[in-house]
Amino acid sequence: MSGTSYSQVEFGEELPALEPDVSLANVRRFTHAAGMTFPRFHDHEAARKEGLPGAIVPGIMSQGILAALIHRWAPSARILRIDTVFRSPILVDSRPRATGVVTDKNDGEHTVEIDLTIQNEAHESPVVGTATVAL
Amino acid sequence: MEIDVDKLKREWAGSTFDTAEFEISADDLRDFALACGETAPHYTDPSHPDFRAVPNFTARYVGRRILPDNFPRLSDGFGFDAGKCVTVLGPIRPGDKVTAKSRIHDIYTKTGRSGTMLFIVHRMEFSNQRGESVSIVDWRMVQRARS
Repeated sequence: MSGTSYSQVEFGEELPALEPDVSLANVRRFTHAAGMTFPRFHDHEAARKEGLPGAIVPGIMSQGILAALIHRWAPSARILRIDTVFRSPILVDSRPRATGVVTDKNDGEHTVEIDLTIQNEAHESPVVGTATVAL
Repeated sequence: MEIDVDKLKREWAGSTFDTAEFEISADDLRDFALACGETAPHYTDPSHPDFRAVPNFTARYVGRRILPDNFPRLSDGFGFDAGKCVTVLGPIRPGDKVTAKSRIHDIYTKTGRSGTMLFIVHRMEFSNQRGESVSIVDWRMVQRARS
């Protein structure tokens, strides 16, 4: 399996950005796989009745998108811990952008710390997080 | 109303209040991974010899109860999901039967311009059918404290 090795990674390195698919069809696929039945995740009208601007991406799907960002950068990486903060919703059918940057390296354990962000089209950061990753 | 966080923690943190079991399906593992944008075959292809769950797959689960019976009602609303931290301890594969034990891990408050918010950290510890620990999920639930 190819991948980014520990020695290749530099402090401050930016991971290639990911523009995830948060279309209604894909979010429905996710909610079905995750057993999430709340209509606010897959029905715009139902979400609006709850006072939301439209259907919203589940927080754990955002977390999964950030994990995918890491795996696309380093396919053989093992995520040991991933912590995400859900500040505000990401809207279904919007165009968010996931990014990450290496903020620390642990030479003894060959792990790196990564700061993670999902930005919306207004350049706000509704989801942020950190991960500890073994390379 | 001032919330006595230390008293709440003494009375409620630490004890398991719920246990639930879940069976892991290959289709759910694959679709969860693909919808999140995973491309590595050990997450997306059930025929791969190392096929397994993505790191945060267990974050999808909730037990039968979110809080212990008789836990005091400290806010006027249901609150919201402020975040999740997943610690990966071992692989989860199709056909595994995982057991999740829930307890309150921490309780704390934060005060800002909009008032005092109460955070309850609900911890689920997952083990597989061989008794091996595979995942810990800390779910931060936040509520606006009653004034």
